[in-house]
Amino acid sequence: MDVALQVLVSGLAAGAVYGLVGVGHSLVYRLTGVVHFAFGELIALAVFATLFLAAGTSPVTQTSVGGGRFLVALAGGLAVAAAASAGSYWFAVQPYQLRGSTIGWVGASLAIAFALRTLIVAVFDRPSYVLPDPLPFRDVGDEGFWHVGGATIQVRSLFVIAVALALAGAAAWTLARTRFGRALEAIASDVEGAAIVGLPVSRLVGLAFALAGAVAGLAAVVAAPSGSFDVDTAALFGLKGLAAAVVVRFALWRAFAAGVGLGLLEAAIANLGWAGPSYREVVPLGLALALLAARALRQPEGAAE
Amino acid sequence: MSSTALALVEAAREARRASNVRAWAAAAAFAGAALAPLVVSAARLEDLASGLYLALAATGLALAVGVAGMPSLAQGAFMAVGAFTAAQLRVHGGMPTLAAALCGAAAAAGVGAATGVGFVRLHRGLVAVSTWILAWLVWLALGAFPSLSGGAEGILLPPGPSTAAHYELALALVALAALVLVAVARGPGGLRLVAARERRAAAAALGVPVARLRLGAFVASAAVGGLAGGLAVQLAGVADTASYTPYVSFKLFVAVLIGGAASALGPVAGVAVLGVLSLAADAVGRLEGVSSARFHPLLAAVLLLAVLSLGGEGLLRAPKRRRAGTAASPPDPCDNLSQGVVKARGLGRRYGELVALEGLDLDVVPGEIAALIGPNGSGKTTALRLLAGAETPDAGTVRAEGGVVRTLQATATFGGLTALEHVLVASAAHRRFGGAVRTAVATPKARREEDEETARARDLLARFGLGDRADVDAAQLSGADQRLLMIAAAYATRAGALLLDEPSAGAARAEVDRLAAVLRSLRDEGVALLVVEHNLRLVSAVADRVVALDAGRVIARGTPTAVGEDARVREAYLGRQTL
Repeated sequence: MDVALQVLVSGLAAGAVYGLVGVGHSLVYRLTGVVHFAFGELIALAVFATLFLAAGTSPVTQTSVGGGRFLVALAGGLAVAAAASAGSYWFAVQPYQLRGSTIGWVGASLAIAFALRTLIVAVFDRPSYVLPDPLPFRDVGDEGFWHVGGATIQVRSLFVIAVALALAGAAAWTLARTRFGRALEAIASDVEGAAIVGLPVSRLVGLAFALAGAVAGLAAVVAAPSGSFDVDTAALFGLKGLAAAVVVRFALWRAFAAGVGLGLLEAAIANLGWAGPSYREVVPLGLALALLAARALRQPEGAAE
Repeated sequence: MSSTALALVEAAREARRASNVRAWAAAAAFAGAALAPLVVSAARLEDLASGLYLALAATGLALAVGVAGMPSLAQGAFMAVGAFTAAQLRVHGGMPTLAAALCGAAAAAGVGAATGVGFVRLHRGLVAVSTWILAWLVWLALGAFPSLSGGAEGILLPPGPSTAAHYELALALVALAALVLVAVARGPGGLRLVAARERRAAAAALGVPVARLRLGAFVASAAVGGLAGGLAVQLAGVADTASYTPYVSFKLFVAVLIGGAASALGPVAGVAVLGVLSLAADAVGRLEGVSSARFHPLLAAVLLLAVLSLGGEGLLRAPKRRRAGTAASPPDPCDNLSQGVVKARGLGRRYGELVALEGLDLDVVPGEIAALIGPNGSGKTTALRLLAGAETPDAGTVRAEGGVVRTLQATATFGGLTALEHVLVASAAHRRFGGAVRTAVATPKARREEDEETARARDLLARFGLGDRADVDAAQLSGADQRLLMIAAAYATRAGALLLDEPSAGAARAEVDRLAAVLRSLRDEGVALLVVEHNLRLVSAVADRVVALDAGRVIARGTPTAVGEDARVREAYLGRQTL
């Protein structure tokens, strides 16, 4: 029971971030039929741009950045990530998407991923970073942890879950209730029809890329101070979000659920006696691949294209 | 080394056979490269050998990416599987170099088969996604299980062959892999993979076993990757996780695209370009006093973006070689043509509330042309899909014997293939010596069969009035010729029954007459034919029996004249077309 509570909280905290990334992947895929392989690196860009604006490239401790400066840095970091996301769509992905060249958009988005990764690692050249936490979670409970029965819960995790759920809610509201959201809906269901009725398709899709990048980036900035962070951490956020989205065929909110499920599974496996942390990442990703392959085998040949 | 010599002899033979400047140049380059150990320092030679192993993996990848059109992003992972398998077997099993590398190839092939069996049925974008997840999964697994990977220190291997031996072996294997790639790509399997890459549905309709062929290509490319990894790790002397990050998979993908996936030496050229540019960057970096190795991914990324923006065809284009096999001694034009029969009783299909077809009885028998007519949305195409077995009926039965093949409504030729190659795609299923191994080795039987099939295909095209355009890219044929070509291809499968979906769509009057003559000659030869048609002129010219559909139900059947005069048929067609 105590372990279950611990698994639930840490799994939800990680899974909610995967879920948001999965929603971003699904949104992008539904609008364009394209998978943005650079999503994880865009998340890294958001986190490291925030870190750069908050503290430069020098080593920081968790408490050395003031709240005001951090907020400004966060806004700047998210703007950079959003601009990079929209820009990568307009300049690298869209030309191949319009031409129907799958190899083209796969190659271009992967190239963006590795270019971003190289540039980030060139500036932040230590193996991993501890991100500043503007909120004083360390002062809550026992150095930032609560002991409930036998379970040890990181207080931050509750904050991460709350922010991620709020972000998911805000995204859902934007997509369902605003004119922007309804326009995206129209593009996703019939892109030619949307263009005929006068929607600026390219601009709206670019904005959707920006939104997806910024939301996932924000979730990552919120989650990052819970542990150490490097480019691979972010790339894995992107990859696990993608795995969650692809398993549910890029259905928007089921991707969120799948991401949460992935996080819970990881936390559960890490706490299992016979498995342990070695299996934490390998088993869920392997399971996602197996599900994908099994689904492909069930459909009649040729139905996929 | 003797394997180098063998590969060179084979390259020279291939070059003479094709009397082709490019092949000669490539053979000369390989011969020159074999002398490198005499002039190059040991350290540089090790770099070259490791580059050649990378080129070997890239050449294997070109089969999946270039020929089969599957953007696989897991080739580095297959190298890793081969590398760590070989390393473990060397250290703990005491296995010799080559045996360990071959076991590495087998292990990679196993992983490729286990994952590929599902992946090959996904569409291209999802192939990229799933192989990319696989690339990360393998890397994460190596990090998570130090017992497999030796942890942070890696696995130290016992000393093996000299660097020069590795270099010669790598060179020979690259030459061999390039030759095999050319042979397989031009052979029946490669042609069918290209057809499926260009238009999967049309290829499947011609009986191409798409999933099986793609799986073969994927597994073969994984095995080559595993072999390259298993040898490269022994050259390096240490198996360490940091050398097998997902970046290796990306780099190999980039190498294939930079060099050009369509040409056999493209992947080698791609690896060479990446290597030379990295060396140049390192030289600049040393002058400036910064470590430039970490900028290599950026270099690869920028190169890839540049190549893609130039059209994505890479540096080397595929040489278009005319196929021999002139019809000097035309073989028997239609041996073992089977008697085809399709009999449907009470056939029905609904999509939700919509009744697409109900209670259709229809016989397609040898020596007769049956026609299915009706206005748009009357259920003709649904009926054809049910008869061909492309869909299962909700009601009724279809009994088919002697092979059934259908053509698709849209003019669907396979991009990049000549008219002749379209026919070869269709006839490939009947080859007895067309397997990948026989094709690659070019056994005498395989060569003779290749010549016979090509001659037969030329003959067939001549019969369809396309003889003078056999070596033309099919996309350059007129719409009517493209449709005739696809009928010729359907015929070349030697199915006893052909089901043609609107063969005359958009055809001019003279072309309809030509089509009618072809269809009559097929009928007289004993082929069972069904045409699903809009064009009543063609129907009245060729059909022996006509069935008219409206809103999924049969409204008339009989001779073309009788059906044409039927009041309900006239009503259904009113305003659309007059008889």
